Amino acid sequence: MNMNDQRICLWLAPAFGVLLLLAFYIFPGFIPPSSPTMSADEVAAFYRNHVGQIRASMLIFNICGIMFIPFFMVIVVQMQRMANPSRAFAYSYLSAAASGATLFALADLAWLIAAFRPERDPQLLMLLNDLAWMAFITPVGFIIAQNFCLALGIYMDDQTKPVFPRWVGHFNLLTALLMTPGAFALMFMKGPLAWDGILAFWVRVGTYGLYIAVMFFVVRSALDRQARDQAQPQGATA
Amino acid sequence: MTSASMTDVAERPSTRRSTETHAAKSRKRDQWICWWSLPIFYNLFGLIFVYLGKVMPPPKPGLTQAEIVEFIQANANSMQIAWVLLALSLGFASLSSGLIVTQMRRMSGVSAALAYTYLAVLAVAALPGCLFCSLMFALAAFRPDRDPQIVAMLYDMGMLSFVGSLGCFVTQYLVFAIAIFLDKRGIFPKWLAYMSIWGVVTELVAMPIWIFRGGTYAWDGLISFYLGTIIFVIWEVCLVTCLYNAIKRQPLEELTAAQA
Amino acid sequence: MNDTTAATLLQAPQLAVAGATTDRAERHLPGDADIWVFVIGDMLIFSVYFAAYIFFDRGQDHELFVASQRHLSQSLGVINTLILLTSSLFVALSVHATRAGDFGIASRFLSLGGGFGVGFLLLKSYEWYSKLSSGLTISTNAFFMHYYMLTGVHVFHVLIGLVFLLVLRSELHGTARPRVKLLEIGATYWHMVDFIWFLIFALLYLMR
Repeated sequence: MNMNDQRICLWLAPAFGVLLLLAFYIFPGFIPPSSPTMSADEVAAFYRNHVGQIRASMLIFNICGIMFIPFFMVIVVQMQRMANPSRAFAYSYLSAAASGATLFALADLAWLIAAFRPERDPQLLMLLNDLAWMAFITPVGFIIAQNFCLALGIYMDDQTKPVFPRWVGHFNLLTALLMTPGAFALMFMKGPLAWDGILAFWVRVGTYGLYIAVMFFVVRSALDRQARDQAQPQGATA
Repeated sequence: MTSASMTDVAERPSTRRSTETHAAKSRKRDQWICWWSLPIFYNLFGLIFVYLGKVMPPPKPGLTQAEIVEFIQANANSMQIAWVLLALSLGFASLSSGLIVTQMRRMSGVSAALAYTYLAVLAVAALPGCLFCSLMFALAAFRPDRDPQIVAMLYDMGMLSFVGSLGCFVTQYLVFAIAIFLDKRGIFPKWLAYMSIWGVVTELVAMPIWIFRGGTYAWDGLISFYLGTIIFVIWEVCLVTCLYNAIKRQPLEELTAAQA
Repeated sequence: MNDTTAATLLQAPQLAVAGATTDRAERHLPGDADIWVFVIGDMLIFSVYFAAYIFFDRGQDHELFVASQRHLSQSLGVINTLILLTSSLFVALSVHATRAGDFGIASRFLSLGGGFGVGFLLLKSYEWYSKLSSGLTISTNAFFMHYYMLTGVHVFHVLIGLVFLLVLRSELHGTARPRVKLLEIGATYWHMVDFIWFLIFALLYLMR
């Protein structure tokens, strides 16, 4: 089978990942992250003073944020090649990826809505800001579930040439663990578990970025192996 | 469906566009049911968003708070009916999603990745891109004595998310176009792929709605809304037609009772 | 569109399916019907953008538009036009070379065409950057709203065009008998992108 479609989906990840990184850099509230302890007036000032940057960065998030889905779906296709008893883990992965993307979309919409009318009442701006941050940082369960399914699928991939090497399973579980602090931002206003904290922000977001980067190379190798396996019995195909 | 009628069907050359036997039609019944959800749902969609919900054509971004409150209260009754209908029916959009994925899986030289992407992405689109809008307007209409500032915020949240949820559709159109281009079996015609690229452009020209409160590129703008909607309607009509043809032409040998 | 053109368009799919012959006498239409649907439709869509520019916004505040236009560098516009013209020339030469069977030369022409396309993008980025640094953003006024949107959508078309050119290049390298029709399809699209730039240049930079 021609693997062009999988390769295209794979490369969409770095192509749009670069744009997402750029947007992350441009958004004035990530480096350093805004604090949950900001007063309503401070939040209003944030939106009024940085309207252009907020809109530009969040528009990039809006347009590009769903572009990791094709990449995740390549992982689903690869999971279906695993010698698992059934495809349950692959389909669960699909479902979790879709749910995670929905939350990301909601987060950037909330930031954009706040930036649309920065003269809005500061209390309302703060509500929108809270919504955006909570939706962005906290629903880590979907990524955890994705990684869990992939890791277990890898451990149960009982064949001489597994689709992914075993360490990828460990890596997935480790990154899932490192993402867990994000959920606690729902209850903390200060400290490492607040949405601007070391654990809930830097570790959580940094881990995700690193995860995508590493998995890109992992999936690329898997695709190369699949291409070689397909070529062997019949000779070179298109 | 008896085994006798199935052997009849097996002997008949099914690559010609001959009239289908009753047995043949029943092999595709599930797909036809899903297909019918499209014209039914989109007519309902028109009733909900245009006639009852008053969201299409959109009210202006530049309204004052008092005007927004008046707009909501003047239309509260029909809006609430609209959102109830949507809450009941939006789930059926999944049927068209499933049908398109079924046909995409028939493409040759294309793995499931693109089809699964389509599935996942439309699941995303249904929420922030459609249902969220109705929820926000329903909240606005629910309590007539709510603080006008809050009503105005709900108004913005509804309209902006409806017209401004862009990424899910960009990805949808993009993978659909890629799949059609790569497909050697020609399940869908190539011009539908090109039209899907227009779909991507409609999302790009909707980006400015997040900035402007009036004019050509606002959420009620000539380009960002009206042209975008016209292109979407044309694309949808073409999609529904191409799906019809794809199902009709699908050889019966492909449709076995038990599939993985 | 008159009847003969319509008839020609209708015949094109059959020609494509028959395994397009390169016999000039038999070929009525470069490329295939699908790309022409795309090109004509895309131009219709752009004409709506232009109509909005001319009649909706420019008509309402002519002086503002003329004053704002002075901020645009006509020289940059002319250079960009020449760049795209040159790239279109190279793409056309590539199609000729493919028809003649010189696939290596065709590929080199494609690379040149694509290279000039990239040059266009770089110059456009520089132009945007210089406008943004002067504080002229998309929300500055109605003229600049149209400026960024029209040039932005066009840049998207150039990016798609570059992807098409890459596909054409891989066709030239990847198979023993590259399909001329595919190159014609890509060239048709690229020429359309060039043509749309002409219109944008005329409207935004020249028309007072």
